[in-house]
Amino acid sequence: MEAFLQGLSLILDPFNIMLIFFGVLVGVTIGALPGLSSPMAVALLLPFTVGMEPIPAIAMLASLYCAGTFGGSITAILINAPGAPPAVATAFDGYPMAKRGEAGRALGLAAISSVTGGIFSLIVFLIATPMLAKLATEFRPPDYFALAVFALSMLASISGKSSIRNLISGAAGVLVGTIGIHLTTAVERFTFGFSELTDGIHFVPVLIGLFAMGELLTQSTMANVALERISSIVIKLPSMEDLRKVRATILRSCGIGTFIGILPAEGSTVAAIMGYNEAKRFSKNKEEFGKGAIEGIAGPEAANNAAAGGAMVPTLALGIPGSGTTAIILAALIMHGFRPGPYLMNETPHFIYAIFIAMLLANFMFLGVGLAGAKIFSRITMIPRTLLWPSVFVFSVIGAYSGSSSLFDVGVMLTAGILGFVMLRHGFGPAPFVMGLILGKLVEESLSQSMIIFDNNWLRFFERPFAILFFALTILGLFWSQFVRAGGWLAGRVRGAQMERGD
Amino acid sequence: MSNDGSETTSGREGQGPSPSSSLIHGVDLKLTLTILGVCAALYYVTTTFDEVSTLLTQNIPPEWFPRLLIWFIAILSLILPFEHRFLERGKKGLDEGRESRIPIGAIVTAGLLILVVASIVVLGTFLSMVLVCAALPLLWGERRWKILIPYVILFPTLVALLFTKVLRVYFEPGLIGVVF
Repeated sequence: MEAFLQGLSLILDPFNIMLIFFGVLVGVTIGALPGLSSPMAVALLLPFTVGMEPIPAIAMLASLYCAGTFGGSITAILINAPGAPPAVATAFDGYPMAKRGEAGRALGLAAISSVTGGIFSLIVFLIATPMLAKLATEFRPPDYFALAVFALSMLASISGKSSIRNLISGAAGVLVGTIGIHLTTAVERFTFGFSELTDGIHFVPVLIGLFAMGELLTQSTMANVALERISSIVIKLPSMEDLRKVRATILRSCGIGTFIGILPAEGSTVAAIMGYNEAKRFSKNKEEFGKGAIEGIAGPEAANNAAAGGAMVPTLALGIPGSGTTAIILAALIMHGFRPGPYLMNETPHFIYAIFIAMLLANFMFLGVGLAGAKIFSRITMIPRTLLWPSVFVFSVIGAYSGSSSLFDVGVMLTAGILGFVMLRHGFGPAPFVMGLILGKLVEESLSQSMIIFDNNWLRFFERPFAILFFALTILGLFWSQFVRAGGWLAGRVRGAQMERGD
Repeated sequence: MSNDGSETTSGREGQGPSPSSSLIHGVDLKLTLTILGVCAALYYVTTTFDEVSTLLTQNIPPEWFPRLLIWFIAILSLILPFEHRFLERGKKGLDEGRESRIPIGAIVTAGLLILVVASIVVLGTFLSMVLVCAALPLLWGERRWKILIPYVILFPTLVALLFTKVLRVYFEPGLIGVVF
């Protein structure tokens, strides 16, 4: 309780509230702009938090993350251009509703569903984080290695076009993480004579390069697209009847989103799509989906925001990011001198509570900001991309440079951007790479320590129950679709045999 | 490396067997060869790491983990040319977004960005910002001078003021430092 009150007093400082509000404003704005995403915004903002106190800095980034997830729904509903991938499913029914003059109702539903999802997941976050952190104190290096492998494999199996490419991308990230001096032997690895690389590659320029520069180059391949705008938006909160109709959908999506978010994977987008599919599956009016069904907005919106809170659980309790954005927040934690993982909860519990309160505040703030400013945010998309992206480049250069006042880091950012563009084109997602880069140290250290403990005998990994559990989950995650397909084939054979027997 | 997704082992679409029917995906084969080349080069680099006494390494030498990853990446990359056979959406799903060659505009954009970053040492951060704010919109077809000119002047100036005066970020002075 004392830690909670300490966290509360930290966040309720007027300057910190202002920072959280700033995070929300930036988050909703970035979320509303197609092409700009919350990972990119968090990566761009990260270098400027270096001089700040750690708690307000992380609180601001976490608020941006929450608001960014919601921001995408504004443009998804009003102009059929989802500002961020998690809002893709919202556009299916949101835009048809807006077209028939119910933009306000759709926005209101999206906002209330998002806030409910966000608050639900934060309650889970508050309960689950200390429990998970307590459990994690039992983990030893082999368990951590197995957990990190599980995290990388989950990202590979869920996100992107292909698991193999994401695994390669994750492993490449871990490999890049080995650049610099080897901790136990002080041998320089992959520094190629650059003194700037002896400390290892800095996270921030790579993150900015992958998320901002990669997207800039992708944008350069696209033609200008004229977007159809809904001219008049009357902000009207959904009626009690609407809320009664979507109550079950929101609750279901809250559960789905939080669960997906807690899994170390690309939470919000997967959660939103699952939320939409489940809303449709359980709906009595399936034929209305795609034409403006209110459950079609409530389902994905509650799920994607619930995933944002859920993704913070493994990030803070285990030091394993739950999504691409939380991987960057994890980098921010490391940059600010925190030790993400169970020790964070045990040594600085007030920090966890402060983040919880900040995210809770952010949820209420974006409800107000989103509803009151929907019309303005829909106009943000009128900023010409020919001016928007040069501005992103300027911020990227300054962001990469300001961390260590080094032009070398700007070069790293640009190289990462060009590589990220090529990688994305060939189906290698940037999120697994980032996850690998951030988890790289943990993977190498825990594996090396395990091998020393086990006297180079791999088989002794299977003497550890937690390691066995995580390896089993890894196999399940990687081959789940094959298992399902094999199960379907087997069930078909059994049914066929039964029919032949005339049962 | 070609990025033409329509290219197959036996030719382009319409001139040879359909890509989905081919065993090997042409673009991904080139991708695999590129990855294997990079892996081989990196493996060679690991052989140049300083040697350390086994007493210090405790049987885990510094090159052990990178080599493990290199092998892992190389083995996985061998699956890439055949991957389209196992995916539900096949080649179509994999080739989404790389159906055509990288547009020349993207290559020129990348070149311009490299040039801008390289020019920071000479021009300084502020002038480089002005350069990119003018050149990139023009390259992307922006010709509305009434919005472009104020943008080129005001945006870099405001950013420079914000970062140098408020956030105390050091900007490379470059030419401005020489002149003033």
